Amino acid sequence: MNLNLKSDKAHTFDAIVVGSGMTGGMAAKELTEKGLQVLMIERGREVKHIEDYDTATKGPWEFEHRGRVSIHSAEEYWANNRFGTLANEETGPFFTDDKQNPYIEKRPFDWIRAYHTGGKSMHWGRQSYRMNRQDFEANAKEGIAIDWPIRYEDLEPWYTHVEKFVGISGQAEGWEVLPDGHYLPAMPMSAPERYFRETMMKKLKRPVTIGRVANLTRPQPWHTDLGRASCQYRSKCARGCPYGGYYSSLSGSIPAARKTNRLTVLHDTIASEVIYDEKTHRAKGVRVINQHTMAVEEFFAKIIFLNAGSMNTAALLLNSKSNRFPTGLGNDSDQVGRNIMDHHLGVGANATVEGFENDYIFGQRPNALYIPRFRNWGTDKKDFLRGYGYQGGASKSDWKRGITMNGFGASFKEDMSRPGTWTMGFGGFGEILPDPSNRMFLDKDKKDKWGIPLIVFDAAFGENELAMRKDMMASAVEMLEVAGFKNVTGFNRSDTHPGLGIHDMGTARMGKDPKNSVLNKFNQVHACKNVFVTDGAAMVSSACVNPSITYMAMTARAADYAVAELKRQNL
Amino acid sequence: MNRRTAITQVAAMLGGAFSAPTLLAMKRWEDYEQSPSFGTDFTLTENQKLIVAEVAEMIIPKTATPGAKDVGVPAFIVMMLQDCYKTPEHKSFLEGLGNLEKKQFLNLNTEQKTTVLKQVENDSVEEMKAYQVQQTKMGDNEDREQMAAQAKGLPFWRLIKELTMLGYFTSEQGIKSSFEYVPIPGKLEMIQMKPNQKSFAY
Ligand SMILES: Cc1cc2nc3c(=O)[nH]c(=O)nc-3n(C[C@H](O)[C@H](O)[C@H](O)COP(=O)(O)OP(=O)(O)OC[C@H]3O[C@@H](n4cnc5c(N)ncnc54)[C@H](O)[C@@H]3O)c2cc1C
Ligand code: SF4
Repeated sequence: MNLNLKSDKAHTFDAIVVGSGMTGGMAAKELTEKGLQVLMIERGREVKHIEDYDTATKGPWEFEHRGRVSIHSAEEYWANNRFGTLANEETGPFFTDDKQNPYIEKRPFDWIRAYHTGGKSMHWGRQSYRMNRQDFEANAKEGIAIDWPIRYEDLEPWYTHVEKFVGISGQAEGWEVLPDGHYLPAMPMSAPERYFRETMMKKLKRPVTIGRVANLTRPQPWHTDLGRASCQYRSKCARGCPYGGYYSSLSGSIPAARKTNRLTVLHDTIASEVIYDEKTHRAKGVRVINQHTMAVEEFFAKIIFLNAGSMNTAALLLNSKSNRFPTGLGNDSDQVGRNIMDHHLGVGANATVEGFENDYIFGQRPNALYIPRFRNWGTDKKDFLRGYGYQGGASKSDWKRGITMNGFGASFKEDMSRPGTWTMGFGGFGEILPDPSNRMFLDKDKKDKWGIPLIVFDAAFGENELAMRKDMMASAVEMLEVAGFKNVTGFNRSDTHPGLGIHDMGTARMGKDPKNSVLNKFNQVHACKNVFVTDGAAMVSSACVNPSITYMAMTARAADYAVAELKRQNL
Repeated sequence: MNRRTAITQVAAMLGGAFSAPTLLAMKRWEDYEQSPSFGTDFTLTENQKLIVAEVAEMIIPKTATPGAKDVGVPAFIVMMLQDCYKTPEHKSFLEGLGNLEKKQFLNLNTEQKTTVLKQVENDSVEEMKAYQVQQTKMGDNEDREQMAAQAKGLPFWRLIKELTMLGYFTSEQGIKSSFEYVPIPGKLEMIQMKPNQKSFAY
């Protein structure tokens, strides 16, 4: 490609960030705030904060199918739809049309994507937990995969840095299994939940806490400066929040980066390759394709942050071939695309709660209870490795209870207008072990409409996960029974696959040894130091806590290091 | 409770669950290259539409507040069956309507109609048991019913009741007349119920 000098200059930045989602937003914020001119490349359409949340304030009757998924939508969004609700009219159009963006399943993989400004940060459940000390040590201790090149202490200050900026409501508890962070006031528990918390501690010595959630219960000046306000408790977060009540890249990091006047954003622009310079042994830029016009362009920068979401970041590396890297940038170890992890879910238990008849809630809490890992922790030992946490809680049943209940007519109608009994339920989030045979790669022949090879997924739950699932259901049942609740019913969905947890990670792991890992301890590609991967691809093990806050902390840490290295002229 | 039965038990009365009517795209990975058709033709005769309207109105009758017919539930049901359900449900729905036609449902008096519907309801409870329904937590406040295997569409009664309730309680008039509708609560509080407390709807 021949580019003239003038456009070369217009195409040159200090840093390029690929992706505008959870981690891309954080990378752009940190890098611009440290003085760099940053180009952010986003493959999807532009979504403007507030303005483009077109379903946010709609009443239920304004949705044709009232929140149900139409057959048509289920076909267009065939992967999203596996989750159960994501293809509906409230959020569907904000997720990726899977028909237009297909992938191949050698073994089934439930890949949920959101290609637009902010990526999945617009839709996330906002649960934010730090990984604990042992999470970073378990691989080495148990001889699983490889050791993390960092420890909790390396991330600790960055967790704090990110938590303050993001704004997380929660309760500090002092438990080793769930390190405390920097919290805004906790959301209240309902009466049956408080009872449950006490009973679990008393009878099973299991801690229960209120979810730690990225919703502003008491906005701080740095939140309101960005135009964010207190949560209004509508719990319609996944549609986008007109108040900026919850954290997303749209409400938080992108506005912060824009404030510096050093951010340039390109939408509808697919990064297809990282361009490697054989002379300098560095990447010099990124090749992109306009998703509508198909025009190809190149952009240049001193450093490149890959934040396209774990699977797309790995695909981008694999597609970046050069003489030096014939199997993809940074793939000397053949680990790019391997060790896919996620959190497995779709297993837990429900019950009905007797009593607490007069207790009720005003407002919709966009949050639930959290039960941190108790398995293989302390003196507990099971025949599987690692553990899981539960999310769930109590809710007062509403008219929907009538669907599965007998009855109809005037008194039934009247009854449905009143609150029913409480129910309580939990679903587990289980740790998946890294396994190199769980992988994704690029198809040799099949390409998408932009000429980029399709991703092939070839991953499945292993023995450890299947054993853990049984225990996840059994102990959920146990806890609800111990609490004395009625109609306790366990569930273990058999139709879930890796991916469904939407915490996909691990395809370009960090490590000490370039022979068996892709990134070093600062998220630099071992053999191409000015390329940083700071999304979930970098994860070495998955822990069982929701990962985004860890990805963000890792991103902020890597950005800090990258800028320091630039100043030292090492990059 | 024995764990085994816990899995397969029909969850009768939990939080309220919408059915996942067909396996939809759940098995999409198996037929990646194929493009299954949607928009199958599902139509009702005028007489069948009258029965749908009558049954919906019997589920949610007009009282001091509007009934199912007032807020357009009958048309909603037909639209939903067309747009959101596939052949197995279309069949079982038509089968259910056919049975009511045989019983000359529209010509019965109110008491007789009620008796017939109670029988239909009881039968469908038995049918549901055969489904191996699992109730699954999908989100914080969302339960779903998931079926292990699906031989046959959901029973007629289950479909019409679910759709009547959904259509009614999410209609503007239905919501505002049945509940305390609070689109922007602004705060979160644990409270005690007042006498005759209506549900909050958001
Ligand atoms: C319903 C739901 C609930 C969730 N709940 C939680 C939760 O409670 N807690 C939690 O921690 N996490 C949760 N998550 C997961 C969380 O959203 C992700 O971990 C997080 O968004 C990942 O950040 P990311 O930057 O890696 O990817 P994303 O946020 O997905 O952003 C990636 C961006 O890159 C863009 N992109 C992709 N490929 C390219 C390319 N080639 N060129 C240019 N741009 C590209 C995409 O369009 C997208 O905008 C949830 C997710 C969903 C969908
Ligand atoms: S619950 Fe809070 S954060 Fe979520 S949409 Fe409502 S106001 Fe926004």
